[in-house]
Amino acid sequence: MHRTKAVLIAFASLAVAFLLVLTAVGCGESNGTTESEQELSGDLDLSGSTTVLPIAQEAADMFMERYQDVTVNVQGGGSSVGISNVAEGIVDIGNSSRGLKDDEKDLGLVDHEIALDVIAVIVNPDVPVGDLSSDQVKAIFTGTVTNWDQVGGPDETITVVVRDEASGTREMFDEKALAKEKPVSGAIECNSNGIVRQTVSSTPYSIGYISLGYLDSSVNTVSYNGVEASKETALAKTYPLSRFLHMFTAGEATGLAQAYIEFILSDTFQEEVVAEDYIPMTEL
Amino acid sequence: MQGMRDTVIDREWIVKKTLFVLAMTSVLGILLIIFFVARESVPALTEAGPANLFSATWDPASGRYGMLVFLAGTLATTAGGLLLGTPLAIGSALFLTQMAPRRTRSLFTMAVQLLAGVPSIVLGWLGFTVLVPWIRSASGSAGTGILAASMLLAVMIMPTITAITMDALQAVPESYKLASMGMGATRWQTLRRVVLPAAKPGIMVAVILGMGRAIGETMAVALVIGPSNAFPKSLTTPTHTLTTKIMMGMGESTGVQRSALFVMGLMLLIIAMTLILIVRRISRSQEFSR
Repeated sequence: MHRTKAVLIAFASLAVAFLLVLTAVGCGESNGTTESEQELSGDLDLSGSTTVLPIAQEAADMFMERYQDVTVNVQGGGSSVGISNVAEGIVDIGNSSRGLKDDEKDLGLVDHEIALDVIAVIVNPDVPVGDLSSDQVKAIFTGTVTNWDQVGGPDETITVVVRDEASGTREMFDEKALAKEKPVSGAIECNSNGIVRQTVSSTPYSIGYISLGYLDSSVNTVSYNGVEASKETALAKTYPLSRFLHMFTAGEATGLAQAYIEFILSDTFQEEVVAEDYIPMTEL
Repeated sequence: MQGMRDTVIDREWIVKKTLFVLAMTSVLGILLIIFFVARESVPALTEAGPANLFSATWDPASGRYGMLVFLAGTLATTAGGLLLGTPLAIGSALFLTQMAPRRTRSLFTMAVQLLAGVPSIVLGWLGFTVLVPWIRSASGSAGTGILAASMLLAVMIMPTITAITMDALQAVPESYKLASMGMGATRWQTLRRVVLPAAKPGIMVAVILGMGRAIGETMAVALVIGPSNAFPKSLTTPTHTLTTKIMMGMGESTGVQRSALFVMGLMLLIIAMTLILIVRRISRSQEFSR
């Protein structure tokens, strides 16, 4: 009897809490109007590349602050997901860190390039190797070289860290650095730039690759054919591991999507936000 | 009078039907889950085919959807978790039910229950930040892999196995023990020759339920398993399990690749159901023997 009562009380309080949440949400919606610019309203959904996600999210926050009646949802998933989602009409904009593959070219998607991203090869700080030739990088990532002593390092086994199959970063890396060969089976696969960095920084004698914007002191950068990965070398076209970041729309962008993309391509956003981690379109 | 009886019957009828509908929702739930998972598995089963799905190569870009690596990972981590966790759990249960003074028993029982309540993500995070670096420095390899996952699983299934084993041990009639002691058997002999054999079916159920928990566990394992799509070279190199592959792959897959993940889910369902059937078989034979 006592227990039944307790259960009843628990249920009742749950129900009350639920109702409170509902009312709170309701209030939030009805109070949304202010005196700022009100010509735009509605929902805008984005998904795709985790490389594009930080810029897209930052733009979304600023955009929602400017237009109070607009809700922008940015999700990850990987470039392939973004492209298939926008083609299927699940989202308004598909973020991608790669161009369209052949079988994606007839989906009627319109490409908006929003920044140039540079990929750096990184190693765990205990690896005393500062430079690798493109052949060495390819040999390591495809598994023909398995020990650091084969490339001028200590006698230690190399742990290779790569991105997952849906990643645009991996797509680009496999194409440009590995000449479309597959990375070695047994490589650690990570779902985002941040996790690659975390894994490489904590795994002894490991090597991986991440977007320039994610570099920090927890990992060492390796120059590629003697060229340091940087905005300058990528702009000078001496550093080859770079690619455009894209936003795809189904047909020409209209309405909210158009306004959002124009906002991202605006000089202010490009120079103040995009330039922090990527090469802005305004510098190209 | 007549009217009153009618309302009583009416109320009973309503309660009965309501409870029936509630009971049906769980039946309906499991049927819907099986139906949905099976339906979503169809594209992979027809387009890729069993030979492809049960190979060892996972490479969706070239149309290879082999899940053998992940299946092996699931079986290995589960076996490892049981190997480490079962002796611990049965030992604890024996100590708590047969030897510990009452105060110690209630304290320890509470600790075991609290252990059962630790969210798996917390354990996983601890594993990732404490256990993995420790294994890494001890072994000199990546540190993630089957060993780390097995250790976490052992901690997670230990409370389940302990609790059910305790029930089984406590269900052994006191008269058995007294009879054994009366024959001049020592406490250890009584435990080994009388109590444990009598509680054996219950202990097996405990282990199987622990196994079910270990097979389905995702979050904690995901943080310490690797991940990698290849068979591990040792117990401390990265690999994958069915659950972690589904979790990490689901957000970014479409078409046959997505369907292949559902086939993995179907595998997990089949394993779980088989375990439940075994548990039922054991409990039923136990009832007959009583």
